Amino acid sequence: MDVSDRLIGRRTVLGAGGAGLAGAAFGGLARPALAQGKKFKVVLSNSYIGNKWRLEMENVFKAALQMEPYKSSIEGSWFNSDNDVSKQSQQLSNVIAQRPDAILINAASPTGLNGIINQGAARDILMIAFDNTVTTPKCLKVNTSQSEMGRAWADFLVKKMNGRGNVIMVTGVAGTEVDQARIKGAEEVFEKAPGIKVVNRYTGMWDSSTAERNTAAILPSLPQIDGIWCQGGTDGVIKAFISANRPVPPVAGEAENGFRRFMVGYNGQKVDGLSIGQPPYLSVISLELARRILIGQHPKQDLLVPLAPLTSDQVKLGETAFADQPDSFFADFTDGGDHPILKLCVTAALDGTPCSGRLDVNLPAV
Amino acid sequence: MPPDAVASSRRSRVAHALAQNVGLELAIAMLVLSVAIYCAIYYAAQGLLPGGFELTTTVNNTMPLVLAAVAQTLVVLTRGIDLSVGGVIDLTNAIAAIGLGDSLAQMVAVSVAVLMVGAACGLLNGVLVAYGRLQPILVTLATLSIFQGVAIRVLPQPGGQVAEGYTAALANPSGPVSLLYAVLLALIWWGLRRTRLGIGIYAIGNDESAAEAHGIDARRTKILAYMLGGTFSAAAGLFLAANATAGDATTGNGYTLTSIVAVVLGGVSLFGGRGSAVGAMLGAFITTMIVNILFFAQIDPLYQAFYEGLFLVGAVLLAGGIGRLVRRS
Amino acid sequence: MSQDVPAVEAVNLVKSFGGVRALQGASLAAAAGEVHALVGENGAGKSTVIKALGGRVQPDGGEIRIGGRQVRLPAPPTAHALGAWTVFQELTLLPGMTVAENLLLAREPRTRLGLVDRRRLAANAESVLAGLGVHHIDPRALVEDIPLAERQMVEIVRAISHDPRILFLDEPTSSLVEREVVWLFGQIRRLRAKGACIVFTSHRWNEIRSIADRITVFRGGRDVGCFTELSEEDAVTLMTGQRVETFFPPLPAAPRAADHRPALEVRNLAAPRLRPVSFAVAPGEVLGIGGLAGHGHRELFLALFGAGRATGGQVLLDGKPVRLRNPREAERAGIALVPEDRKSEGLLLPMSVRDNLSLALLRRLSRAGLLRRGLERQMAGGEVQRLKVRTASLAAPVGTLSGGNQQKVLLGRWLLTDPRVLLLYDVTRGVDVATKHEIFELMMRLAGEGRAILFYSSDAEELAHLGHRVLVMREGRMAAELRAPGITAEHVVSAAVRDAA
Repeated sequence: MDVSDRLIGRRTVLGAGGAGLAGAAFGGLARPALAQGKKFKVVLSNSYIGNKWRLEMENVFKAALQMEPYKSSIEGSWFNSDNDVSKQSQQLSNVIAQRPDAILINAASPTGLNGIINQGAARDILMIAFDNTVTTPKCLKVNTSQSEMGRAWADFLVKKMNGRGNVIMVTGVAGTEVDQARIKGAEEVFEKAPGIKVVNRYTGMWDSSTAERNTAAILPSLPQIDGIWCQGGTDGVIKAFISANRPVPPVAGEAENGFRRFMVGYNGQKVDGLSIGQPPYLSVISLELARRILIGQHPKQDLLVPLAPLTSDQVKLGETAFADQPDSFFADFTDGGDHPILKLCVTAALDGTPCSGRLDVNLPAV
Repeated sequence: MPPDAVASSRRSRVAHALAQNVGLELAIAMLVLSVAIYCAIYYAAQGLLPGGFELTTTVNNTMPLVLAAVAQTLVVLTRGIDLSVGGVIDLTNAIAAIGLGDSLAQMVAVSVAVLMVGAACGLLNGVLVAYGRLQPILVTLATLSIFQGVAIRVLPQPGGQVAEGYTAALANPSGPVSLLYAVLLALIWWGLRRTRLGIGIYAIGNDESAAEAHGIDARRTKILAYMLGGTFSAAAGLFLAANATAGDATTGNGYTLTSIVAVVLGGVSLFGGRGSAVGAMLGAFITTMIVNILFFAQIDPLYQAFYEGLFLVGAVLLAGGIGRLVRRS
Repeated sequence: MSQDVPAVEAVNLVKSFGGVRALQGASLAAAAGEVHALVGENGAGKSTVIKALGGRVQPDGGEIRIGGRQVRLPAPPTAHALGAWTVFQELTLLPGMTVAENLLLAREPRTRLGLVDRRRLAANAESVLAGLGVHHIDPRALVEDIPLAERQMVEIVRAISHDPRILFLDEPTSSLVEREVVWLFGQIRRLRAKGACIVFTSHRWNEIRSIADRITVFRGGRDVGCFTELSEEDAVTLMTGQRVETFFPPLPAAPRAADHRPALEVRNLAAPRLRPVSFAVAPGEVLGIGGLAGHGHRELFLALFGAGRATGGQVLLDGKPVRLRNPREAERAGIALVPEDRKSEGLLLPMSVRDNLSLALLRRLSRAGLLRRGLERQMAGGEVQRLKVRTASLAAPVGTLSGGNQQKVLLGRWLLTDPRVLLLYDVTRGVDVATKHEIFELMMRLAGEGRAILFYSSDAEELAHLGHRVLVMREGRMAAELRAPGITAEHVVSAAVRDAA
């Protein structure tokens, strides 16, 4: 029996092709699954699980699947592929063969999966890419704006420094799109503030120990620093300042627990800072988007997820900073802002244990 | 001719062929076995057998590795190793993504040019190994970085667009057309094995100085082997671009290691001079089957890499063990 | 070509390998229609001269002339073009390829498409072999799957099949058995009759005597004389520069069996390919074991050393039964085995002479797990002197020593364990005449010290001269027992083949 024949047959019945997704009306893809008491099948294809962020991202996805409304309506599964494009592509074809209703993808390559994603879309499967998204138009994208993040960090510093003083920029992995977008966003702001002088720019590789080492090496040659702009490894940069007996100026940085703890007050240091991270719960937002589209309550559109900035005044121990977690833990697994998209408990991020109660995800307005 | 009595005490031609191609036979057995397991697990999970879609995507996904495995085989047979396979794929994939265009003439011209770029990369490797008297592993490790660097310059951001016609020709999504290329590749290998170059490659892989003592030009043979390998790697880059419908200057990186895995699974000796590219091609399909089996076996994704490694070690041990057993008997 | 002009000539060849001077003014001239033997100790430069003449080694100085014209031979194919082919000592076969591919490398038959015709390849190889009277080698077999002797024959056939005007053979008989040597000499005579010039090296004096027209002796990287007649004793004298009275040293007085309990007694020992055998060796006795290859002596030696599987029987040392399940047990019991294949069965070539010597008794040399270097050096140094091992220093890697000296190191290693019973398995194979002589002297000294020696040799001459008794094996059992004095090589050979003929 030829599976593709069967799939083509189904596509005719549903009458929805793979093209023109953005304009599809509400309910255009709504499926009768719920009516028949069946669950939607949603699969997460994660390109790799080699760092803490990816672990938390997968853990909150697992936790969400065990919480309402997903528990009763979604049958979820997940796969990792060692950051190998051809392996992820092969796994995706296996996923497609299982005919799920939606596939969520954190991609190993922005283009390398286009072929197989197009095939999935052609078979009427809802394809959603998040975090590391893809270029094919046959796939919805869920992500934050990286340039906006860079801009927000820079804005914070300009304000804190009253528009004048010395800034260092600790960048990420050179050559990546994310690194470039964040720097570009920051530069736009700093250019408009003539009093701000970027006295040095070096990489921290998005890694605390590298950031600490590089900062310690470069610090003796630097004048007084009035602001730190850091893409990642923020706690490492702060530690280097402390070891060198330099006062820690206002810091705009990522969402490492170590940084958040300094924002609360840690080892006698209280850092005035702004913490914004790439939220691990992008997976849960993508899950919610898939669910809403499948039940016909959301248009098939890309989602720009607003940032969840957190200042030293807002950060709370036990909610958005954790004394009992390592510094490298990403503390933004839950939205700590005033109008949160979602609220998750720490166990969800740690090992995928569901939180009590229902998980309400307020999708950002389109 | 010798008397019949003497000839009859010998093994027949078929018996020789069987005994001398144990690696290839084991690769066939492993592929058959892994396909069978895959089908069984698939049936258990889905309630039906895999069909056209599964075959098509598997073939299209595996073709770049098949080509990379042939490229790797050529070099491994000369007692070398080509770590730059991934770099050549990166570079050629990048060039293909920006250059192929929409017209048939341009597609053909650019494809040929891409293959020539691959050959040039191989030429560089070959000249450094043959005339520089350097270890292949060092040379190709260095050129891997060079090719990767150039690839990033060619295509800094993943992108480009491969025309549908090109995808349909090399990695047709609606049917396993690419199997024809695999068959073609096996035929090319059959012919190559019977050319002076083919024999020379095996000869220098067996014993370079002995081969030279009998009139084989080792340098020329090595350079040609690396060039041919580069060309096949470039073909892998083209297939990769066709299958992905776009380019990414880093997607080729993984092929360096996986091509070595395919070569080993295919029964090609890493010590050179023994084995067949056909075995390595089968090895490529085996690695894909392992991915498929682990997928449908519903193994916790966190342990997948562990099981994959276990499977590989087991397969290599088994192949080595059976090979020795057959030898002895 | 005029009769006066040598077919091939080496004039004052000089060659160094990383500081070691292999050739220091070596000359050689051989005529058409002549079989010319090259003799000398291992390391005297014979192989290097042949490699230079074959184009595999570039001399640093001197001249090579072929047919009177000076030539340069940058690679073997250049020599081939001049009609000169070489059978190198370390074979130049491709192990993973078939006999046919090896025989016809770079001259394979082609189809109309220009591809190699594999069917005709095997058929052509078959007829090449058959044309030279070789019927037992399968052209479709991989070279690595055929025995060493057959490989050597393939190497020889390949050279001869080119119908060479000049043929160099470097120890062509080292792996061949009697029958195959007869075949080779037949071929050599055929080529000589056709006017070819054949230059060969060998350590087997009877071979040299039977076929060589002239003999050039090498010592220390240069020629020391060319002779048409030369006795073995004179050859050894020339090769070593020391006067040797008799090539085979006299046997020490035979111990009277009644006086002693046997040092080694074997009762109904059985193993695969070994029918139950029984014999005894007295202390101070040299017992030779003879027989054709594959008739059980290898299995006997391995079983006695605990390296082979014994399926029945009993072994007694000094009257006490011992179990020999592995070589370690044999070593503890006082049995030592020196094998013929030094490289694969005995020595660690990249390691130093000292390390190789002390390997067998690391346990005794170490205190609290630490090696006592001083003691080690002292013992190793003493052994090197006693055995007259020619080595630059104790720290020199064994691989840099000549074959005969490697064999002495291996022997020395076992002597350091002070064994009661020495098993010597064809230890003189591939060893030059002079070193053979030294090994023989050593054997007699060891017997004189009261050790029991069990000694197998593929050279019947050695057995005839060196054993108090010789047991000849045939089809896994003891077929004959010969007693000195009065044993001849002919006795040994005929006892080995008596029924087979």
